[in-house]
Amino acid sequence: MNNFSPDCQSDTANSELVTWFSVQQFYAREAHLLDDLKFRKWIDLFADEAFYWMPIVSNRIGRDVGKEVGELNDLAHYEEDKLSLSNRVKRLETGMAWAETPPGKTRHMISNIVVSPGDADNQVKVVSAFLIWRSSLEVDQEIFAGKRLDTLRRDDETGWKILTRKIVIDHATLTQKSLGIFI
Amino acid sequence: MLERSANSHLDHLIDLTKGGINRQIFVDPDLYKQELKTIFAKCWLFLGHESMLPKPNDFFTAYMGEDPVIVTRTGDGKIHCFLNMCRHRGNRVCRGDRGSARQFTCPFHGWSFRNDGALTSVPGYKEVYLEKLDLDQHGLVPVAQLDIYKGLIFATFDKHAPPLLEYLGDMAWYLDMAFDRREGGVEFLPGTHKWQIKCNWKFPVDNFIGDSYHGPVSHGSAWQSGFEGMPRRKSGYGYEGFQVCPGGGHGLGVRWAMNVDQIYEMALPEFLQYEKERVPETHDRLGDLRGMHMSPMHASIFPNMSLLWQAGAVRVWHPRGPTLTEAWSWCFVDKKAPPDHRKMVRVHELQRHGTTGTWEQDDVDNWVQSTHGAKGYVAQQFVQNLSMGLEDEIDNPQSIHPDIRGRLGKFQSEINQRGFYDQWLKRMKADTSPVILGSNAEI
Repeated sequence: MNNFSPDCQSDTANSELVTWFSVQQFYAREAHLLDDLKFRKWIDLFADEAFYWMPIVSNRIGRDVGKEVGELNDLAHYEEDKLSLSNRVKRLETGMAWAETPPGKTRHMISNIVVSPGDADNQVKVVSAFLIWRSSLEVDQEIFAGKRLDTLRRDDETGWKILTRKIVIDHATLTQKSLGIFI
Repeated sequence: MLERSANSHLDHLIDLTKGGINRQIFVDPDLYKQELKTIFAKCWLFLGHESMLPKPNDFFTAYMGEDPVIVTRTGDGKIHCFLNMCRHRGNRVCRGDRGSARQFTCPFHGWSFRNDGALTSVPGYKEVYLEKLDLDQHGLVPVAQLDIYKGLIFATFDKHAPPLLEYLGDMAWYLDMAFDRREGGVEFLPGTHKWQIKCNWKFPVDNFIGDSYHGPVSHGSAWQSGFEGMPRRKSGYGYEGFQVCPGGGHGLGVRWAMNVDQIYEMALPEFLQYEKERVPETHDRLGDLRGMHMSPMHASIFPNMSLLWQAGAVRVWHPRGPTLTEAWSWCFVDKKAPPDHRKMVRVHELQRHGTTGTWEQDDVDNWVQSTHGAKGYVAQQFVQNLSMGLEDEIDNPQSIHPDIRGRLGKFQSEINQRGFYDQWLKRMKADTSPVILGSNAEI
């Protein structure tokens, strides 16, 4: 690539910007769906073969520093496929999901989005940060923080589909009553 | 209505003849302080499983009541447990949850302790202590007794506590149904769910020890949406089951199979193949009662350990003040289980129980609301009702099966909760003597 070619550079930068903007809009729409309790529409954003995983994070010292995030086959917070995710949504629709009766009020903030090329032409890898506010009943107020590592695939209908999502939560012992939220 | 005065005797808190509990026991700070001393510093408490320390020099940290402890495996393979507290200024000497370490160095002044508890290095030992500090007297404070049952590590700070097996009594025999059903026992998967619940620690223990009554309402949403549990609900001769109260404040609930086929009928389809592999071996090891008739579901071990058999969940409910509890939850599988079954148990467990559990989330709210409800002065004038099954305890359990140990209630009965609070009251009343530690320190 000729570094001195302004056309080439602007083309590259422009296409990256377009992709980034598209991913950013996708995440913003996703966040609004979750906060507006439109969980069925949220499920539609996942590919049929999706894998949704939130490992447990622990405190490590000495030579074990770097092993904080749990591995596959360890006990995790979430280890879901599209069916179990939609069953979790189905539970919320029964009218008997008492922990969400009335539903908690959430606000998903997604930021620090970095998009990288994926394993296939129509895929990207994305890392982003989240901060989620939840308020339940009278005075219960909780914040969840962490990052998401996604593989997204281009989709004509929804812009992108989520192929894999790994959620690294920035809490070892949760001070929240549960992780009864989608991230 | 319950008579209440500032100096009411502890006896007034629990009325087992009517099944009435004074709600003060869930919120009162003075009663909580006494619990830390007479229950948590004296009882045998569950720390973790041997499989959490696979190699020499492995460690994990835990709690005994509100006291942080370190559990270590030394180079010789032995397991130890110490207060996670520097003997100088009291800092935690280990800030990790688990890992490998031969020694722990206090971040404050650098006192260094070997993983067998010995104080091995004090900065300025010559220059500032003039070699007068007695290192032998300043090792990490050990628990008074530590013992292991079927891989489960327990410890107590009470030198005079009865041996673990005596403390567990017949509950140990029933625990075999979870931890000794196949050759090699079980192992705990890496990873612990840890989260804080704004409830009194006794509510979850009460729930797990014998509340088979709450399922259809509390967990209706999970059952209706693809998160059914095992053993599955069936009607007909057999199936319904019993609450078993072996004494000591422990208890479990079981479904009842008349024959092996009924066990298979209570299995979820995805678990059936493994059940067919496991049941014959369990039957050989444990006999008719424990290996066939009883399909165990839920249990609590006094004071704060709980268990779900089929989901492979073990819990400790750490007290964090009268109205805050820290739940620690593990998932266990048979050591002989193949990889696909391990995955199935793990996913089954985490989708129902623990931090994201479709069952547990609704349980948690119940415990929080019950605790919240116990705070009001007027609410405290009305007893908590635990009367279910007072009139229909099964008189002669051996008529059901000659091997049955302990008392027996119907499947929906609060016999186990009454057994738990009976033990709670005995402990709270009887024990005013200081706890004697292994190191002869008195608290």
